[in-house]
Parts: sequence; C-alpha cells; structure tokens
Amino acid sequence: MGIRLYQEPQLNSPILVASWPGIGNIGIIAVDTLRRILGAEELGEIEPWEFFYPKLVLIRKGVLEYLEFPGSRFYFKGTGEKDVILFIGEEQPAEGGRMYAEGTKAYRMANLVIDVAEKFRCGRVYTSGAAVALTHHTAKPRVWAVPNSENLVPEIKKYSNSILMSDIEGRGGHGNITGLNGLLLGVAKRRGFEAICLMGEIPVYLQGLPLSYPRASKAVLEVLTHGLKVEANLDTLDELDQKAQQRIEEFYQQIPLEIREQLDRLKHVTYPQPAEPGPITEEEERKIVEDVEKFFKKRREGD
Amino acid sequence: MNQANPVSIYQEPDLRQSSLVLGWKEDAGDLGRRVTDYLNLKLKGQEFAEIEPEDFFAMGGVAVKDNIARFPESKFYACPDQELVILQTDAPSAEWHTFLNSVLDVAEVHCHVREVYVLGAMISISAHTAPRQLLGVANSAEMRGTLSQYDLNRDMDYQTQPGERPTLNSFLLWIAKGRNIPGVSLWVPVPFYLAAVEDIQAQRRVVRFLNEKLGLRIDLSDLDQEIRRQNERLAQARSRSAQIDDYINRLESNLTLSDEENGELVKKIDEFLEEGG
Repeated sequence: MGIRLYQEPQLNSPILVASWPGIGNIGIIAVDTLRRILGAEELGEIEPWEFFYPKLVLIRKGVLEYLEFPGSRFYFKGTGEKDVILFIGEEQPAEGGRMYAEGTKAYRMANLVIDVAEKFRCGRVYTSGAAVALTHHTAKPRVWAVPNSENLVPEIKKYSNSILMSDIEGRGGHGNITGLNGLLLGVAKRRGFEAICLMGEIPVYLQGLPLSYPRASKAVLEVLTHGLKVEANLDTLDELDQKAQQRIEEFYQQIPLEIREQLDRLKHVTYPQPAEPGPITEEEERKIVEDVEKFFKKRREGD
Repeated sequence: MNQANPVSIYQEPDLRQSSLVLGWKEDAGDLGRRVTDYLNLKLKGQEFAEIEPEDFFAMGGVAVKDNIARFPESKFYACPDQELVILQTDAPSAEWHTFLNSVLDVAEVHCHVREVYVLGAMISISAHTAPRQLLGVANSAEMRGTLSQYDLNRDMDYQTQPGERPTLNSFLLWIAKGRNIPGVSLWVPVPFYLAAVEDIQAQRRVVRFLNEKLGLRIDLSDLDQEIRRQNERLAQARSRSAQIDDYINRLESNLTLSDEENGELVKKIDEFLEEGG
C-alpha cells in the first residue's frame, strides 16, 4: 500500500504544490484552481485505505457497485518555465473526529507526498493554508509565508503582499501551522527539500464558520503563480469571492452591533511595521478577540 | 501499534468450507449480539480466536452499561458440524481497513470461508406489528443470484446521502469482493421504539434466513415464544396507556409522529419494558 502512479512523465526539476482542506479551504481552493488553470493531468494517488473511512457507497438493484474513498491525488503539468506537480488531499487523515491530521498517519501521508517529490526530483515544495488574522473580510488578505530554511527568507521578502512571521504584529516570528499543510514543511526539511507554506489571511471572526474564503485563495495564488512564473487568469476566484462575500455579509449583520463596531475598525488596519504605532492598540486587539470569542461561545451554546 | 499480528488464535477450528456470520454488538434492537448469541447457543459455538482491541478501539477507559464495565471484544466461534464461523464484535473506531482485513484473514486462512454474511438493523418508523422485511445487498451479481429462492428483497437501491458515511457492512463487503469472497449484507427494519431495547421479531427474521440458506436446522419455536411474550408486553403497554396506543395506532395507519411524539413513545416503551410490564 502507498502510492499508485498512473504514468511516469519526464519532468524537469518540478515544483510540488500540496494542499489539504483547512480553515476557509483557502489552500485547497488555490491549488485546485491552479490545477484547472494549468489543465494539469492526473499523475497518481495515495491509496486511501489505511488513511480514510469510505465516503460513499453505491448500491444498485441489491448489488454493491462501488465504494468511494476521499481522494489524495497528484497531478502534473509542464509549464514551459517550470514543471509542476500538484497534490490535492480531499481530507486530512484525522482521527477521533478532529479536523486536522496528527500522529502516525499524518506523518506517513506527508512522507508519501515527499516520496513523489523525491521520485520526480522536485526542486521545491509549497504548501498552502489559512492564517487566522485580525483583518476584515472587505480587506485584501495578506499572505503569510513560512519557509523551512533560513536561505529562503531573502526570496520571500521579495514576494508582493507577503510577510514573514517576524513581520506580523505581536508574533515575534513565532506561530504554529496546524495539520498536514504544516507538517509537510517539517517532513520536507527532514528529507532535504526546501519548502514554503503560503497562508492566506482569514478574519478571526470567520475561522469557525463552514465557509470558503476564496479571496485569500486568490492572494495565495497570486504569490504562487508569480513564483512558478505562470500567467494565470484568476477571474473564477473573483466570481467565487463575490458569492462568498454575500454570505459573509449576511453573517456579519447577525453579529451584535457593539462587536461589529469593533470589527469595523479592522477595515482601516494598514499593517504598520512592528515598531510603528498601529491604528489599533494591543489592548484593543485583545478586546476584539475576546468579544468575538464570547460571541461564538454564546452562539454555540444557543445551538 | 500491533498491526502485524492483531489476531490471537487459541485453537485451529476444524472447518473445510464454511460461512461466516458477523454481528455487531451495538446494533439497533440488539440484533447483532442477540442473533450471534442465539446461533452460538443453538449450535454450541466454540470460541477459537479474537482480534486484539488495541489498534482498533479508543483505549481511554471503559464504558459502563447496565452497571457493568464493558471492554471492546471481537470473538470468533466455530460450529464445525454446520461449517459455520460466528464473529461477534464491537464496531471498530479506527483502522477499519486493517480490522476488516483481519476478520477476513481469520475467515479465509483458518476457516476456509466461502461466503460472508454481515448483519445490520435499520431504524424504521413503522409499528412493531408490521412484518419485518429482510433486505439483502450482495457484493456481486452472482451472489445476488444465489438469494433468489429465499424470502428477501434483493432490489435495494441506495447512495450515501450528504453528511453521511457508508456502513461498516458495506466496507466489509467491498473488501471481501476484492478478495473474491462472496458476501451479503442482511438488513432488517427495527421499529424505532424497540431500537434501544430488543426486537425479537427482527432477530427471528434474520435467523430464519440463515437457517434456510445455511441449512442449520435450528428449531425456532423458542424465538416464536419470545416474540409472543414481547408482543403481549407491548399489547399491555397499549392497553395501559392511551397515549402509547394512539401513537402505535397512528404508525399502523402509516401516519407519522412528530419528533416530540417519537421521543415520548421511545421513552414510555423503554420504561414499560424495563419495569417488566
């Protein structure tokens, strides 16, 4: 059990871009959009049995026709500049009802993805996901970039609309990347691959909602396609974003006025450098987070 | 992790061309546990193997049910005279593929199993007085064909609905198919208000099928008596409570109850049967 390749194309130092579902499905929408834009072909899959419970059964006239598992599929495309391998995991191999994978299965799956990177001599690995941030849904999300090596920092500093953890207000360069989107960075490092995780910002008050956030997917893709030197028309994401924004706005109007007034102030955040005084003080930030948490707690209790 | 060898065999069973019957211990109407207990009792099943629980169940303590601490178990019993293997097991909560393959490893390697039957109860909104129609889902058209001479519905159409997942029965059948082992999932409806207690009619319906299909030659008169007793108790419940009678009357007339009424009926029947009414 492990990897099943449908074909073995000759690829020139490809870049592997991987993603699994997570908050706002930011990473997976970005990578799936890239797959469609590039017209990438199916390359193979990670056999699902040891990782997943089946997701669908079809019974016709009393005969079990098939059982379908969550997919973990590889795609490839020669782009002219840089060849690309994409990996899209439909689910994280989480246990006990958790959303994110951890432990032996997660580690094994991350290693299988890197096995493919190794087989095709990938020059780099990207993963992508969500960064929960004090931002507003009407604002353009930034992209937090976390490399697995010091050597990549100068390159990341040149990316537009991107920041390192050390540039994020109050974080001091520290943080966590939950689940496989993060774990893959570590496994890549352990096996000698340079890797960068690109995380699109999602407002803190949206993180618990079952909503996609394509606005951040687009921000991630803008960075990614620049890195891959791929020309990509991202209009489809704008259409998705418009629909998502409508639903978010409906939700936003349900938030009590006094909390919403606090959140409205996030519209005007201008992302100063850490040394500069910001438009919102640390105390105010703390208050916003507390108020939002209280609101969601109340909502959950009311369910 | 103990996945390399999760099975303990105590004694090699003397089986040449057997059938496996699998029942889940936590099933609606207590179907799986009761049917496998009944078969074991009638056919003098001898325990010969078990699947170790550590890889497949959460080992975070024990569940207490009816005052007794329970621990997950997966035990195999052999009935050599009838060429039958019985597995009574808790449903695994992890490593399902390995667990189900372990079941089929025991069945194939140690018992030379040629067919698999897995039992399942479906919660039904019908009254207990309605007949229990047995449904069979096979893992091949050939296996479906072998069921034609028996009294069961072989025409089920189903696709997993959004937010749901396939059953372990389907998962087992699918793995068995991959190993060229014919298999059938047997489904019997259990009235919702008997789901938390027991449904002897449903149990009898399954046993009757297995009796015929596998030539077990079990006399089912004791089950008939139990059904009579259960029906009498339910009739008493109806005669003592106008509300219970009204709810069941409406179900018998194919009328639906509200969620609140459903809950009320479940509670009242549960209380009545527990009191030994």
